[in-house]
Amino acid sequence: MPIAISTTELRKRYGSVTAVHSLDLAVERGTVFGLIGPNGAGKTTALRMLVDIIHPTSGTLRVLGEDPRAAGPQLRRRIGFVPGDLRLDGRVRGRSLLNHYADISGDVAPGMIDALAERLHLDLNPPIRALSKGNRQKLGLVQAFMHRPELLVLDEPTTGLDPLVQREFLLMVREARNSGQTVLLSSHVLSEIQQAADQVAVLSRGRVVAQGAVESLRLGSIRHLRAGLADTTVDAVRTALAQLSQLGQIEVTDGDVVRLTARVNGDIDAVIKTIARFRLVDLAVEEPDLEESVLSLYGEQAPESSEKEKNNG
Amino acid sequence: MASALPVLRRSFADSWRSLLGWTVGVAGALALYLPLYPSINGAGQMDQMIASMPPELVKTMGIEQISSGPGYVQGTFYGLIGVLLLTIAGTSWGASAIAGAEESGRLELDLAHGVGRLQYALESALSIVVRLLWLGGFAALMVIVLDGPAQLGLDAANVVAASTSLVGLTLVSATMALAVGAITGRRSIATVAGAGVAVLGYVINAVAAQSSDLEGARAISPYAWAFRNTPLVDGFDAGGLVLLVGVSAALTVVAVFALRRRDVVG
Repeated sequence: MPIAISTTELRKRYGSVTAVHSLDLAVERGTVFGLIGPNGAGKTTALRMLVDIIHPTSGTLRVLGEDPRAAGPQLRRRIGFVPGDLRLDGRVRGRSLLNHYADISGDVAPGMIDALAERLHLDLNPPIRALSKGNRQKLGLVQAFMHRPELLVLDEPTTGLDPLVQREFLLMVREARNSGQTVLLSSHVLSEIQQAADQVAVLSRGRVVAQGAVESLRLGSIRHLRAGLADTTVDAVRTALAQLSQLGQIEVTDGDVVRLTARVNGDIDAVIKTIARFRLVDLAVEEPDLEESVLSLYGEQAPESSEKEKNNG
Repeated sequence: MASALPVLRRSFADSWRSLLGWTVGVAGALALYLPLYPSINGAGQMDQMIASMPPELVKTMGIEQISSGPGYVQGTFYGLIGVLLLTIAGTSWGASAIAGAEESGRLELDLAHGVGRLQYALESALSIVVRLLWLGGFAALMVIVLDGPAQLGLDAANVVAASTSLVGLTLVSATMALAVGAITGRRSIATVAGAGVAVLGYVINAVAAQSSDLEGARAISPYAWAFRNTPLVDGFDAGGLVLLVGVSAALTVVAVFALRRRDVVG
């Protein structure tokens, strides 16, 4: 399959700080590629290099077959970009801003802007400074999608969006892929990537620590478990859980009900069946944050680095 | 197809309120000062006042000729209030065009679209030129309108020449702010640089006016390039204008190259 983005030993240093160490990525055309990693992993730096906002220190970079530094504005018209730190402000109305970007990037189909705005429940008439954070983010999405670019580079695009709009956004991503567009989506929220992406790369401290199909990465295998168990004792709970090797960080405390917290790494079925023997008054199984997943699963592969990491992702 | 000069048009759309404000400021200054000329000058009060002032101060302020109509307009507006207003306006526009846009986070999104950095910097500079020309042209128009009622005895062509020099002078500060903003990405530093050029040029000119031994120092003062040959009396000063426009153009080129080779971080 043809390649939309490829990077080879891509590196970016700011003075003595290396934000991206040696990035090797290959994004196939017509796919959704997820880039995940904790804050400060180098996601934003990597994505900014794709649109020539910052220049690589070394390594090679190909976007839609061209070098972003040499290709210039012509290449960027084929890309839709949502910056990781999207800041929009001013008296100008949302519609005027979008028309301005349509002027520059060209080829926005008639009615497209209104259709997208309606889809995201965005009012284009108030001045931007009167918009909420979430609505400004929606403007960011509209300006990236409106000219149906061949490539969408979306850096933490759902920041500040409510869950309904997030779902609509994921639909938009899927539709873009189905119509042949390529999407590069960065996030520090694992579930978002799991729902949207075909392929994923995990970034930690400026390096890819894992790459492949989403399911193959085991990132979803860690869960935090909280339960309240009635009519039992701490000892009985401890005994029941003793044989479950996938449990860690077990804490059992006494009270009106016995409170249990633990970390599950692996098969959850046996855990649930074991605690189901007790009378449950409360149960929560939560996804850990991505930082924890990445560090616990790939931490040993992430090279030790004494360098201070740039803190803007 | 992309339409012509999108960056320029957007900067107008964003800044017309500010431009209107500066226009009102220029109008206010002219409407305040110029009509006073007949009453102040009538009884020879002006000459008495100048005679009673220390000669160094008179030379510093460039008001030796203030009892004449052109000298009065030069001493009050073109050499003083006008320079102040247009310098502040031009410097703030120059500092916000690139550095301000970068600090506000707008530049990152703008440059990720289909606009090159050369185009961005050039259109930003052009937008400032047009706005300064507007203020200068507006000032010339007002001076010409007030010329009769205020009994100033000005030549309309020379008024245009003085306004042109004023625009050229303040353009140096504006493009200095633009260039330093493009190099540093910091609005505050850009503003200091733009204002600094204006202050330095004024001070060098004033010091050089004190003695013929120091006359040579005027060669490096943009203020002297603009007004040493009194355009309000003698008309267009081609040499001075070439220097002002040349330096502004060079600073714009610096802005282009600085923006092109730099990482935009915001």
